Amino acid sequence: MASTPIADLSYRNYDGELSDTRYRWWVIAKAQIFMAMKKRAVWIYAAFSGGYYGLMIAVLFFIDQMSANVPPGQPNPLSQFLNRIVWKDQFVHGFSFGQMWFLAIALVIGAGAIANDNRANALLVYLSKPCDKKDYLFGKWFGVFLPLLVVSAIPSFFFFFYGAMSYRDAGFLSGDPWMLPKLVLVLIIGSGFMASLVIGFSSMFNQGRMAGAVFAGLYFITNFFTQLMLAAWMGITNGGRRMDDDTPKSVVDLVGTLFYGSVDGLNIGIAKAIFGTDGSPYLGIPSRIKSVPMPSLWLMLALVVGISALMMFIAWRRIRPVEIVG
Amino acid sequence: MRESHRAEFTGSFGSNSGSRDRSSGAKVDLSPELVAQALENPVKYLPVSVASIKNLVVQYGSFVALNDLTVEVPEGCTGLLGPNGAGKTTLLKTILGFVSPASGTASVLGFDIRSQGREIRQRIGLMPEQDCHIPGMSAVQFVAYAGELAGMPKEQAVRRAHEVLEYCGLGEARYRNVETYSTGMKQRIKLAQAIVHGPKLLLLDEPTNGLDPAGREEMLDLVRSVSHGKGLNVVISSHLLPDIERVADQVIVITKGQLRVQGMIKDLKRIAGAPMDVELVEHSDEFARVLGEMGAHWEELSYSSYRVTTKMTPDETGRLVLAAARQVGVQVRGLIEAERSLEDAFLESIGSPVHHVEGGFQL
Repeated sequence: MASTPIADLSYRNYDGELSDTRYRWWVIAKAQIFMAMKKRAVWIYAAFSGGYYGLMIAVLFFIDQMSANVPPGQPNPLSQFLNRIVWKDQFVHGFSFGQMWFLAIALVIGAGAIANDNRANALLVYLSKPCDKKDYLFGKWFGVFLPLLVVSAIPSFFFFFYGAMSYRDAGFLSGDPWMLPKLVLVLIIGSGFMASLVIGFSSMFNQGRMAGAVFAGLYFITNFFTQLMLAAWMGITNGGRRMDDDTPKSVVDLVGTLFYGSVDGLNIGIAKAIFGTDGSPYLGIPSRIKSVPMPSLWLMLALVVGISALMMFIAWRRIRPVEIVG
Repeated sequence: MRESHRAEFTGSFGSNSGSRDRSSGAKVDLSPELVAQALENPVKYLPVSVASIKNLVVQYGSFVALNDLTVEVPEGCTGLLGPNGAGKTTLLKTILGFVSPASGTASVLGFDIRSQGREIRQRIGLMPEQDCHIPGMSAVQFVAYAGELAGMPKEQAVRRAHEVLEYCGLGEARYRNVETYSTGMKQRIKLAQAIVHGPKLLLLDEPTNGLDPAGREEMLDLVRSVSHGKGLNVVISSHLLPDIERVADQVIVITKGQLRVQGMIKDLKRIAGAPMDVELVEHSDEFARVLGEMGAHWEELSYSSYRVTTKMTPDETGRLVLAAARQVGVQVRGLIEAERSLEDAFLESIGSPVHHVEGGFQL
C-alpha cells in the first residue's frame, strides 16, 4: 500500500478571482443571517410574533361564517364588527403584540453579534481582511435588522393583502390610502431601532449572554415604568373618559408621553404617530377604556433616531483591532 | 504616485534581480545615476521589496513607537526581530492599516498604506498571536468565511477552505467547531484563514506560541513550506531566534522604533575574518603547532575542535587546514566555515548604536 496520499496536498497559491473590496458588509450580514436561520428559537419566536394577525384573521373568519347563517332581516354580526374596526389600528396592535417576540429574536440573533466576536478576538480576523469598521458594524447591524424586518413584515403584509382582498368594501383601503407606505415605514423604523439597541449593547460586552441580559433587563425595567405611567394616566383620566378636575392638562400630557418611555413604548408610540391614530380596543372588542393618545411624531422620531445613533456610536467606539502583542 | 508605480513594477516583474540581491546579501547602492536610470526603467534597476517604508513615524500620544523608520522588506521569508516594545507590533499594525502614521510614507505590494488599506489587506494574510476565530463556526465555515471576506466567490472559498485545511493538517477535524480545538489546532487554523485567499504577503505574529515541541516543529515546517517556492512572501515576528533562524532567509532588527540591522541571516552570523572550524578525530597539539607555523591563528574550541583564522579566503584556509592535517597525519572529521549564533548577532546588534544600513550589515 502506498504510504503517500493519492491527492496532492502541498500548498498551492490561489490566483483566482477576488471581488471588489466594497460590499464586504454584505458578506458579514449574510453570514449572520445564515447563522440566525439555523437557530430553532428564531423560527419559533417568528411564528409567535405574528400572533395578533393570526387571531384577527381567525376572528374575522369566524364572524364571517356566523354572518352567513344569520336569517335575512336580522342584524349582521360581521357588519357590526366591521363598524367597530379601525383597520390601521390593527397594524398598531399587531406591531405592539410582536414587540416582545421581536425582542426575543433580537436577543437570539444580535446579543452575541459583537460580544462573542470580542470574546473570540474575531475582530482581528475581520479587520485584517479588506473590511473596515464601517463594513463590520453595518454588516452586523444589517444582519439583525433584516431578519427582524422580514419577521415583522411577513404577517403584516399577509394581513394587509388579506384585508385588501376581503374587506375593501368595508373601508380597508379607503380608510387610509397611505396605510401600506406607513406600515413599511413603521416596520423599518421598528426593526432598525431594535437592531441598533441590541448591537450597541452587544458591543459593550465580551459575552453575548451578558449583553442580552443587560438589554433585556433595561427593556423590562423601562416597560415596568411605562406600566406605572399607564396606571397613572388611567387614574387621572378615568380610563381616558374624562379629566380629573384637580389635575392640570400639562401633567396629563406629560404622563401620557412618559407612557411611551420604554423600548417597546417608543416603537408603539412611533407606530401610532405614523399611522395617525390614538388606538382602539384589541380585536374590536367593545370597551369604554380608551388608549393613551398618540405622542408627537417628531418627539418620537427624535428619540428613536437619537438613541439609535447613540448606540451605534458606542459600538463604533468599541470596535477596534485587537492588540497584537509583540 | 511614482512610489506606488515603482513598488508595483518591482513586485510584479523584478523577481530575478531580487534573487540576485538576496544571494549576494548586499543591499543595492542607490546612487543618483542609478536612481535616474531606474526611473527610466524601474523594472530593470530597482530592488525587489514587498514593503517599502520611508521615514515612518508612528505615535501613541506622546510616545513614539516608530521613529523615522526606513526599511525595505524584501521578497522571501523575513524575520522581524526586536526586544519587547521595539516597535515590531506597531510596524505590523501600520502595514495592516490599523494605525495611521504621523509622518512618512509606506507602500505594501505597491499600494499606499494611507489610502489603499483595503487593497493591501486583500493581498495580505495575518496570523495573529492571540487565539482568534469566528464564534459558532466549524473550521470549514470559518476558513471559507475568511476567504469570502477577502473577496473570494463562495464556491471557490469553500473549495479552497478544504484545500488549506488539509494542507495545514486539519483535514480530519474540519467539521468540528473551532472552539473545541486544542492550542496547536487553533494555531493551524489561524494559518489556514490567513492563507485561504492566496495572499502575496503573510504576516505571522509569534506563530509557535503555546505549541509543544512537536507542534512547533510542524508549524515551522508549514511556515517554511509556504514561504519557499510558493510565491508567498512572509514576515514573521518572533522573539524565538531559533524559529526565525529555521524559517527565515533574512532578518530585520528593530529597537526603539528604529532599524538596527537588516540583511541575510547567513551574513549576520558571519564572523569577521572568515575563520574555519575544524574537528579532528582526536586531539593533536602537533596539528595546532603546524597551523601556527603556516601563519594561521588558532584557538581550541573543545577537546578536538579548533577555530582557525587566516588572512586568506575560506577556501584557501580550508586547503591550509588539510595540508596541516596531512603533514601531521591526523584525520579531519569536519571542516566548516565558522559562524556565530543568531542570538549572539542579535544581542550584539541591539546593544550597539543605531546604524544606517546602506551597504549591508553594520553590527
